[in-house]
Amino acid sequence: MLAPLWILLIMLAVFVACIVLLRMPNGLALILAGVAGSLAGGQGVPVHHLVEGAFAYIDPIMLIASAMVFMASLEDSGALGSISRSLMIGLHRQPVLLIMGMTIFIMFPGMITGQSTATVLTTGAIAAPVLIALGIPRAKVGAMIAMSAVYGMIAPPISLPTMIIGSGVDMPYTGFELPLLIATLPLAFGVNLALAWPHLRRIDLQAVLPELGEDHAARYGFRLFLPLVLVAGLLAAIRLVPQVSVSIGVVLVFVIGALAGAVTGRRFNLASSARRSLRQALPVMGILVGVGAFIQILTLVGVRGMMVVDALALPSFWKFVGVSLLMPLFGAVSCFGSASVLGVPFLLSFLGHNEIVVGAALSMFAGLGDLVPPTALASFMAAQVVGEPRYLRVAKYTALPGIITALWAIGMILLANPIAKLIPR
Amino acid sequence: MARTSFHASRQALTAGATLLVVALVVTFSSRGFLQQHEVEVLHPSPALTRVFKLSEINPRLAGSPGDTDVYLYEGPGEGGTLLIIGGAHASEIAGTMTVALLVETLKVDAGRVFLIPHANASAMTHDEPQEAHPRHLVFQTAGGPRKFRFGARFTNPVHQWPDPITYVQPGSGTMLAGAETRNLNRAFPGVEDGYLTERVAWAITQLIIRENIDLSFDIHESSPEYPVINAIVASETSQDVASFATISLQSEGWEFALEPSPPNFHGLSHREWTDHTKTRPILLETASPVMGRLRGRTDADLAVIGKDVQYMKAARIGAINVPFDENGIRSTRTGSPSSTAWRATWPPSRRSSARSTNWCPTASSRWAAGRRPAS
Ligand SMILES: [Zn+2]
Repeated sequence: MLAPLWILLIMLAVFVACIVLLRMPNGLALILAGVAGSLAGGQGVPVHHLVEGAFAYIDPIMLIASAMVFMASLEDSGALGSISRSLMIGLHRQPVLLIMGMTIFIMFPGMITGQSTATVLTTGAIAAPVLIALGIPRAKVGAMIAMSAVYGMIAPPISLPTMIIGSGVDMPYTGFELPLLIATLPLAFGVNLALAWPHLRRIDLQAVLPELGEDHAARYGFRLFLPLVLVAGLLAAIRLVPQVSVSIGVVLVFVIGALAGAVTGRRFNLASSARRSLRQALPVMGILVGVGAFIQILTLVGVRGMMVVDALALPSFWKFVGVSLLMPLFGAVSCFGSASVLGVPFLLSFLGHNEIVVGAALSMFAGLGDLVPPTALASFMAAQVVGEPRYLRVAKYTALPGIITALWAIGMILLANPIAKLIPR
Repeated sequence: MARTSFHASRQALTAGATLLVVALVVTFSSRGFLQQHEVEVLHPSPALTRVFKLSEINPRLAGSPGDTDVYLYEGPGEGGTLLIIGGAHASEIAGTMTVALLVETLKVDAGRVFLIPHANASAMTHDEPQEAHPRHLVFQTAGGPRKFRFGARFTNPVHQWPDPITYVQPGSGTMLAGAETRNLNRAFPGVEDGYLTERVAWAITQLIIRENIDLSFDIHESSPEYPVINAIVASETSQDVASFATISLQSEGWEFALEPSPPNFHGLSHREWTDHTKTRPILLETASPVMGRLRGRTDADLAVIGKDVQYMKAARIGAINVPFDENGIRSTRTGSPSSTAWRATWPPSRRSSARSTNWCPTASSRWAAGRRPAS
């Protein structure tokens, strides 16, 4: 039996070899790396653990699949194009206000559902054509959407990473609104304005409108937007009347929305647009399957524990370096996994700083994981939405905002106690 | 054209081979997953009066995976009534194993004792993905090997799904992460026709009310890095009984802290039983390295014996609150909750007394090997 560090190196080597030499899909490479790790750890080929781990992210996978189909339906029915048209017509005289409004608009589903991918695929997709029509390059628009989605996921009222960190230490989810707003809103406005600034100019509406496609709203009227109203209404109902969700989950809500899209606007073949969207989402879903199996083996052979303890053993200054590198890196594998596996022990290690503010700050580090390649879930999805074939170009523009976000989070940990005094009791 | 059809047939071949491999893996592994639904046989002590299902109290549980056995023991003498539940979190084996041990060894002189070894029966039927926990613990006994399931913290999602985005606790309105909907110890006092987990919680709360249970134990474990460990959690009404037990344990070298039940932390057994019933609730929390985020290699030995190199390292750097050396945590698990129950029970109330004889000598010595009392 090898030491955990050697097992980790073997797993990484197999992962890289499978991708670079054998050109395997990432998900499959992760599973084979898991098998290698388990063999190196003297555990044979534990089919039980591989299967169990592969199912860890079945809920997000189904959510991504259904959200993708819903988006394809909105796109093909002509609803998305029509919304961006109206936004453009309404706000074209105030570019700065348009950007700030768009930021809140994009963040909104993330604030309500606590999910970044759903955000990118819903309001992100609606905002994309508007921002592109303003003259902002596609990759930068992708970065704006990805960043807004990550901030939206962390922002109140629903911040899943924060809830996950909180439930690890039995901290009720109360009093987090203000710290989470401090963690997200200023950054979201600042980052998006900075990305868009060099391209903001007087908008010539007549020149821009044709790029947004034909006006389907004129033909179908309000009916065109019924699927969106339906989905928003059902999501709100789940939030307001919790018992409703005994029978309706978010996945079913998106499927209902997709079906509605097929009969409320331009005619299209739902089956073929569903196939198209699922093919786009397949790589990410495959990665989530592989990642689940990979982490389960990391846990089985003791590598996960080694990583956590070594991170906690870092001296004070290096602990900040460690948290800002390790949590986003683990977050690249899974944002929620990072919140649970690393967020909880780091929260305990920052004892003495107000735990609510530290919890909020740590969820920022976890959220940044959605921007870290090779998975870079938010950037990957945003690239799809803006039609940028190489998602790494989107990821490139999120690098600086990501670093600024990490520094902001470190600042929040250092100033946790003064910030906590602002929380109303 | 030939090239296209070659490409297409190669694609079909890859797809077919992939499906075949998946089918084989599914068939091969499903047997193991289904085994976790097989309930272990317990051999109740002669003192047993009767076994009944929780669905006797909430008929909506009948035939559901949340239904579970309740063991009732009645002594010859007059006395009070005691309830001990384990497996509210099915991965916390101090609870499931302590109550199983009591089921098989209990003698009652006076009063009545209700035992529920698998409070969340559904949670016993699966493991939490990514935790790499063992499925079973096997103990060598005089009568041959005995196998006990190692479950999960939450209700099996196969039985209760999908989770809402957030769990809004009925009654208090407290908001928790959606998965907590499947957490029995966040679902008290429960809802008669709510989620499966809430129905179970409701049935247990109603059992306490219907049977006028005087003292109720809920046995838990948590990770060594958790702030409340090796602790007895008591509410306003059980403070006196619990402090007596704590002092008594300390006098024998067992380091246990007495923690008050937070008045605003809703859904937990000790809080809601205090607010909704007349029982005096006590929650026991010991440390279990197999649950911790800092643990190294994860297997059945870690669950039972509890030796771990990563926790030794963590103790050296001060990352955990309990002493942890090459012998594991210096305290006991299955030994201690049952002795706490024993101590807390009879002297202050002087009404009910339960005694337990030694059980499963091999297992006991394995536990003892890893967990010496703090001196
Ligand atoms: Zn517990």
